[in-house]
Amino acid sequence: MRLDINGETHDVAAGAGELLLWVLRDELGMIGTRFGCGAGICGACTVHVDGVATRSCLTPLALVEGKQIRTIEGMATANADGSLVLHPLQQAFIDDQVPQCAWCMSGQLMTAAAFLVQYPTPTEDEIVEAMGNNYCRCGCYTRIKRAVAKAAVHMAAGTQQGAPA
Amino acid sequence: MTNQRIPAPPASAASEQSSQSGAKRRWRPTRRGFLIGLGVTGVGLALGIGAVATVGIPYVRLRVAGMLDGAEAPAGEMPTDPWAWFEVLPDSRVRLYLAKVEMGQGIHTALSQIVVEELGVAWDDLEVAQATTARDLGGGQTGGSNSVSSLFAPLRQAAATFGEMLRAEAATQLGLPATSLVIAGRGFAAVEDPARRIDLAPLVAAKTGEWEVSKEPAPLKAPGNFQVIGQSLPRRDFVAKLTGQAVYGYDARLEGMKYGAVVRPPTIAATLKSVRPGNAATMAGVHTVVTDKDFAGVVADTRAQARAAADQMEVEWDAGYPWQQAELEAIVTVGNGEGIPIQTEGEAGKLLDEQTSLSAEYRSPFAVHAHLEAQAALADVKPDRVRVWCSTQSASLERQSVAKVLGVKEEIVEVIPTYLGGGFGRKLNTEAATEAARLSQAAGVPVHVGWTRVEDMRNGYFRPATHHQLSARLDDAGMLVAFEHRQASGDVAFSFFPEVAGALLGADFGAYRGATIRYAVPNKRTIAWRSKVPVRTGWWRGLGLLANTFALESFVDELAHAAGADPLAFRIQHLDDTIPAQQRVKAVLQAAAQLARWDTPAPEGRARGIACCLDVDTAVAMVAEVSVDRATGQIRVHHVSAAMDPGLVINPDGARAQVEGNVMWGVGSALIEEVTIKDGQIEPGNFDRYPLLTMKEAPSVDVVLLEAGDGKPRGVGEPPIGPVAAAIGNAVFALTGVRLRQLPMNAARFMRQASSVTSAAQAAPA
Repeated sequence: MRLDINGETHDVAAGAGELLLWVLRDELGMIGTRFGCGAGICGACTVHVDGVATRSCLTPLALVEGKQIRTIEGMATANADGSLVLHPLQQAFIDDQVPQCAWCMSGQLMTAAAFLVQYPTPTEDEIVEAMGNNYCRCGCYTRIKRAVAKAAVHMAAGTQQGAPA
Repeated sequence: MTNQRIPAPPASAASEQSSQSGAKRRWRPTRRGFLIGLGVTGVGLALGIGAVATVGIPYVRLRVAGMLDGAEAPAGEMPTDPWAWFEVLPDSRVRLYLAKVEMGQGIHTALSQIVVEELGVAWDDLEVAQATTARDLGGGQTGGSNSVSSLFAPLRQAAATFGEMLRAEAATQLGLPATSLVIAGRGFAAVEDPARRIDLAPLVAAKTGEWEVSKEPAPLKAPGNFQVIGQSLPRRDFVAKLTGQAVYGYDARLEGMKYGAVVRPPTIAATLKSVRPGNAATMAGVHTVVTDKDFAGVVADTRAQARAAADQMEVEWDAGYPWQQAELEAIVTVGNGEGIPIQTEGEAGKLLDEQTSLSAEYRSPFAVHAHLEAQAALADVKPDRVRVWCSTQSASLERQSVAKVLGVKEEIVEVIPTYLGGGFGRKLNTEAATEAARLSQAAGVPVHVGWTRVEDMRNGYFRPATHHQLSARLDDAGMLVAFEHRQASGDVAFSFFPEVAGALLGADFGAYRGATIRYAVPNKRTIAWRSKVPVRTGWWRGLGLLANTFALESFVDELAHAAGADPLAFRIQHLDDTIPAQQRVKAVLQAAAQLARWDTPAPEGRARGIACCLDVDTAVAMVAEVSVDRATGQIRVHHVSAAMDPGLVINPDGARAQVEGNVMWGVGSALIEEVTIKDGQIEPGNFDRYPLLTMKEAPSVDVVLLEAGDGKPRGVGEPPIGPVAAAIGNAVFALTGVRLRQLPMNAARFMRQASSVTSAAQAAPA
């Protein structure tokens, strides 16, 4: 099966019924998409499928063939000299020192990135609603909320250093 | 942005290279006991046991309890040779090896601040590497909130000594007096003539002969001159973690590896009777099927294949007794067994009786850690070398366990800790490591074992259920005359100790953590009962702190109301300024109250509650502001104002983050989290039955940090979990008059209690 991940084509051996999460992690070695619950509850495995935040732990390959998959590995970009250009959300999460253990953070960032495309100037309630289904066991919620709001401001103002969402 | 050392590809992640310096390591520490990493000094406990013959077991038990309350810093053995900790890299930067693991608490950043302070190199010129068990740095466990408190002195000394050694060598090579040299960039330069300089890499390369460690301790900076300690420097691991590059135990990979799955018992009391491969051996992708007397598993090309095959093995279990929740709660009951006094001052027993005393009972349930990264390990077992990469809080313990299960010498086993996706005490035992090792040994290839959420939720150990009976007597002026806390709990520390330790100590110091009465009361007593429950219980963030503080601080609130006093004023009246620990608790109470504007009315429909604790000698107080939906009984925590005095703050933002995280844990435990048992099985198997707090229920949090002024850092990872539930319960009472005495304080419990209570002060347990 052929998958389009972060703008690159990958031929994978896994069958149509295999779950995207484990194909990413175990076959392709893209470990940035994390496993949390396998039941679509915690959000640690969130990726984008055609721009929609999607729980990869419940998503068979059959549903993503021919679609654009984006993972945390495709969030930052590189300058011509190879240096890393963080996405404004990633930068905001560093600026506000959001994570603790960070196992949930790929899912938090992917959820937030898809949300900010739809809601470029979100209210606090909209942020809570959008981010309210991603668990963070370390309890970084107040910082996640603040950083998403700040990233939105930066992105809307075009003042971020990072790549567009 | 600071330099970030993004770990090398997983196969070599955290694997150490040989010392660039070529310097010999002459030091060989002895292995440290398991107790040390968990807040009990091996030395102290040994002293206590040794004293049995002369002073008797009750004395030892009180002595151990007192030692824990005083949080006497673990002395432990640490290497004194700086080359054990440091390496000079070819680009003249310095690498610091740390045995402590990074599980979210920011320990690598905090400890490198301590080093940079004394060594004097630039922040970006120091990098941190995770030490494996091949580099024995002591302090092999990361837990008990003691990483900073136990390493503060030895790391400062090691860094200062290392700096002096390098300075002396630079003086020799430059032909200048050592006193004329200062750290300049990545080397030393003459103060008078900065052109005369040498970088660290050429300095170390040109060294002839052995490095000498000065007999005189190198001078340390006066705390008043600290420039790096006390700064909110950014975490070193965030770029890797936010770009998906950081390697955790679940991510460890090697060329040619396969995946393992292990057969799990159906009930908590089950024992394996017999196991045969069944259809597993012929299923797609299956490489090896293991059928040992006590262990059954499969190695296959993919996880899905391994799990499918494990399900097809023919396994016969003796399911054991079908335990029910009510039976377990009955076991966890004060008076069931022998009560061990762990605190005795005055004559509390004589002064408390049913006529003149106030009393109440509290309960807390079993709970699970629910770290988001489930147990995981990669093992590569070869005849002459065993390597295990895993998310572990205790690499040295896993090394012992792996060697034992494989029947090999410890010397050939190297455990390589990865980043941890949460630890919270659960990863002090990483069963996935021994499982992966057994499967790798059988299969002859590297094997990764990563637990499913269901496996992780049902096959670990749990925070034990607790039961508390409290009683107290007030005098006519509303002052406490006598106070007693009788507490029963499942095992915490004893689960991991030989039975003889439990028999000697009688009561589990982990279970009674936070149980003693810290207020100035002339007559006070704490008695602990050990409840032997058929559920595996053990380390969980703060150990007994959350349950004990919930009971004690809720009851103190009841006493304040009985005395007609303001809950803050009542607490302060019972704290003695002449005792430093009590003075510090008073200070954090006042600071939290000020932050919360305690003296002003709460917003319409809300009320505030206050609670405090002293844990590992860190003082914490919190004010929670809550509302209650009277139609449903749902409690909402809007805001928490917290004050913490951990003695000396290394990284204020990191300390605040720990308070915030503990608040979220505390709110979850206070309102939601509960593990129940039915028909011998752990009921929740995933987050549908064990939901965690989300951003929707999360309160906002304000934190103020105080410092004791004695220049000694204490722990911050667990103490702030103490007051949360009590502060919430006390706020609920202030708002509604309903006293909730059982966790979690969920909507159903509130409604039940609200409807049954006419006079909250005399209410029975919810």
